Amino acid sequence: MKDVETRPRRYEWIVILAILLASLPLILGFSLLMLSSFSREMVTNLDLSSFHFTLENWINVFQGKLATTGGIRTNILKITFNTLVVALGVSGVVTFISALAGYSLSRIDFRGRKHMMVLLLILHAFPGVALIVGVYLLYRLTFPQNPDVIRLYSFFYVILARAALEIPMSVWLMKGFFDTIPWEFEWSGIIDGASRIKVWWKIMLPLIKPGILAVALFAFLAGWQDIIYVRTFLIDQTLATFIEANIEAEYSHMPLIAAAGTLYLLPTIIFFLTAQQILLQGYSGGIKG
Amino acid sequence: MVKIILKEITKKFGDFTALNNINLKIDDREFMALLGPSGSGKSTLLYTIAGIYRPTSGRIYFDDRDVTEVPPKDRNVGLVFQNWALYPHMKVFENIAFPLELRKVPRQEIEKKVREVAKMLHIENLLDRYPWQLSGGQQQRVAIARALVKEPDVLLLDEPLSNLDALLRLEVRAELKRLQKELGITAVYVTHDQAEALAMADRIAVIKEGKILQVGTPDEVYYRPKYRFVGGFLGNPPMNFVEAEVENGHLKVYESKIPVPAQYRELIEKLGIKEVLLGFRPHDAEVIKGIGEGLIGEVYSFEPLGREQIVTASIGGTFVKVFAPEGEHFTFGEKVTVKIREDRIVLFDKKTERALEFLEE
Amino acid sequence: MNKTSREKFAALSFFLSPMILMVVLFYLVPLFMTIYISFTRMRNWNVEKYITEFVGVYNYQRLFYMFQHDPTFKAVILTTVVFVGITLIINVFGGLALALATFFISEKPASTFRLLWLLPRMSPIAVYSLVWYYFFHGSEIGTLNSILMKLGIISQPIPWGQIVPWGAWSIIIFVNGLVGVSFGMIVFTSALNQIPKELVIAARVDGASAWEISRKILIPLMKWHFLYVLTWQFLSLLTTYPHIFLLVQWDLVNRDYGTTLALYVFNTAFGRGEQDQGLAAAAAVILSIMGIIGGYVTLKVLQFEKMMKRPRGDF
Ligand SMILES: Nc1ncnc2c1ncn2[C@@H]1O[C@H](COP(=O)(O)OP(=O)(O)OP(=O)(O)O)[C@@H](O)[C@H]1O
Ligand SMILES: [Mg+2]
Repeated sequence: MKDVETRPRRYEWIVILAILLASLPLILGFSLLMLSSFSREMVTNLDLSSFHFTLENWINVFQGKLATTGGIRTNILKITFNTLVVALGVSGVVTFISALAGYSLSRIDFRGRKHMMVLLLILHAFPGVALIVGVYLLYRLTFPQNPDVIRLYSFFYVILARAALEIPMSVWLMKGFFDTIPWEFEWSGIIDGASRIKVWWKIMLPLIKPGILAVALFAFLAGWQDIIYVRTFLIDQTLATFIEANIEAEYSHMPLIAAAGTLYLLPTIIFFLTAQQILLQGYSGGIKG
Repeated sequence: MVKIILKEITKKFGDFTALNNINLKIDDREFMALLGPSGSGKSTLLYTIAGIYRPTSGRIYFDDRDVTEVPPKDRNVGLVFQNWALYPHMKVFENIAFPLELRKVPRQEIEKKVREVAKMLHIENLLDRYPWQLSGGQQQRVAIARALVKEPDVLLLDEPLSNLDALLRLEVRAELKRLQKELGITAVYVTHDQAEALAMADRIAVIKEGKILQVGTPDEVYYRPKYRFVGGFLGNPPMNFVEAEVENGHLKVYESKIPVPAQYRELIEKLGIKEVLLGFRPHDAEVIKGIGEGLIGEVYSFEPLGREQIVTASIGGTFVKVFAPEGEHFTFGEKVTVKIREDRIVLFDKKTERALEFLEE
Repeated sequence: MNKTSREKFAALSFFLSPMILMVVLFYLVPLFMTIYISFTRMRNWNVEKYITEFVGVYNYQRLFYMFQHDPTFKAVILTTVVFVGITLIINVFGGLALALATFFISEKPASTFRLLWLLPRMSPIAVYSLVWYYFFHGSEIGTLNSILMKLGIISQPIPWGQIVPWGAWSIIIFVNGLVGVSFGMIVFTSALNQIPKELVIAARVDGASAWEISRKILIPLMKWHFLYVLTWQFLSLLTTYPHIFLLVQWDLVNRDYGTTLALYVFNTAFGRGEQDQGLAAAAAVILSIMGIIGGYVTLKVLQFEKMMKRPRGDF
């Protein structure tokens, strides 16, 4: 509300202070985790005397040392790469499919269009856990015999299965972006002799670049943050399953895990710094009609 | 270059009838304006000609070819939109070349044709720019160039000037009219601006609520409106209307009486009509100070316009606007007589608001 | 089919078939497989052995029996009810409060706060769980414990998540509540931004306070959005489990009172130790039925169909 004359400053500060207070656990929790990654011991006890600055954890993370004593080696870079592959895969699949479907739901009138849109909404609200049992059975039934391709197949499958979860909402989001493009652009192309596919490719896609970016970004985050699907389907480890497996392990050096966790948080932070508007607007646009 | 024939075109959106039994013949090389208020169905009619909308019933012919079921791309029409719809991600050259590329015209030929049409519209030096780097008038030319580059049989324009400022509009208006005649292309021009329609068109079709009320040359539509609506929609200020009763050869308007105009005498007799609306244009009457022969009323207001002034007179509570020479001085409330040129009077049936001479159609 | 409708069909196939393929492969087929499994004795994913071993409605009977007699399962049901109910209230009203609060402060701190509250939703689930793992940890490294000890409120660290039921409940409600608040916040914020500014300005001029403006003008105008957040978030809470999965896995919270029905299904099918997919599938089917009914009612209540405009043009 910047263009309305604001209330007295003091009043605004009270509100800000109240929100700050409510946000305190959130701020505290995340800061302590990041801080711990630069310390020899965890500082979650709020005792700053246990903070001794070191880069050792980060160096160890990148060198793949898991425990400072035990010497169990894990290739964190490889794990990060796995996570990235899943996230990029999900993002690509979701963006491609929703850019196609979103266009036709926004622009082409056909029988069953409404039902399809309602179905998508229901699928979006559908209990994911009810699906995953069946999705796993499908995985088992389609599992390749050839051991060389097993790991590849598990990547392929986890990407598709995880992407599927994002598709209903992303198609709606994308449809919303297509809805904002004036019809004249479409008509102009049609009259000049373009097919629907041409119109989509040559005219509409360039016009909704920001929308594509938003959908791609949300899908990337979904793939990046996932733990359930990767631990169920993926043979290789990702940062999520790495953290899951090492929390309670005797040999883990906890600040090292904090460093891995902070590394895992990096894309989120980068998006927060670079794509604020997309993040803030994206969630509401997709689900509303 | 084709002749367009619309036969009993009806278009419904759900229960809503946007076009109601439209019959219209647009001659080859003719400049036809579709004129009507907002929401009257002008754009719908234009898009039906283009093939974007399929009529619910009725047929469309280009010359003798029935194009009702022909998809837009095979109709060879060029369309200029109100918002111009220039593709923002393409440069001007690419925008104009786009229709040719879709037709798989060879590269050199595209180059040649784009330059030709750009030259014709004086935009040769803008070809490397993006649409957002152009002024409104320039964008408008690009939109016309894009519509013309594929040498369409019909040029369709949907309020192409409404996004321009007033002065530029006058300029482009003249140019567009000349261009159309030079190219000898059949053009359909949608507008809600009556001055534009009068200035540019060979013929005007006046549309209201999805129906064509009248088709005719600007003169016909202006001086011989078939409906009160047409008279009231064209002209600035529009036609004046006062209620009148027919009383043995005279029209009684409030307390004044004027003879029934010569051209109506027989007709009124024949129709035996008693209540009419008397219509006249503001420049087809004069205001005379004092009480005399004509409609007697008093000055309600007056607005100097430079070369002349508009006097608003109240005739028994009905306001009429009349042009008067600049020098004359009026005072509020002063008694005046409005004297109407008899041959320019149009009489309408009060009930149906149709002009008497068209009442039996 | 004539030429145009054939072309239209071709275009539609091009645009829609990838999505339809995905929906069939990863929604419809799995749904039928889940239903199928619920009628078999499938356990430990021993597919070869059990895939054809039908047991009729045995799994459903077991569920019903457990519902009546098994304390663990009863705890799960109770946890689900409490979790969904309380978290829903927190989510809806927390989101509303945040949206209103940030509506009345200047743009910069407002969007900073909104972004901050998106953090739970945007951060990797493992990291998010890690954060709360340390926050609520039962020993003195737990942030909450050390704060309370420093303040002298407690003398010994308390294993919060193991206090049943309310300790465990509080933690899962808190952790998931923070994730859900952002949904309401975003929806309400965008609703607030659509309200004509003149209404607020006029009320300001008349001397109304922020509280009065909210109560008399803003909130009444957001009825639809309120309903939307309420119903949608209800469905989402009923079926969510990833954010509490690790808390249970890491034994931060008590297994029975930290597990909702959705998580129960997942753990029964994929968890450590003995797995029982037949039973999990049966529970999943019941959950799905609730979800579909809830979703359908939601759509009817919110009248989404009215918002679906028809595309224009007949080409
Ligand atoms: N696709 C559509 N679906 C439903 N109704 C429509 C559609 N297109 C137009 N209409 C309705 O048909 C009527 C005529 O619309 P049209 O756009 O042809 O008017 P217009 O004369 O061009 O008006 P304007 O001067 O405002 O452009 C309007 O009432 C409009 O609401
Ligand atoms: Mg229009």
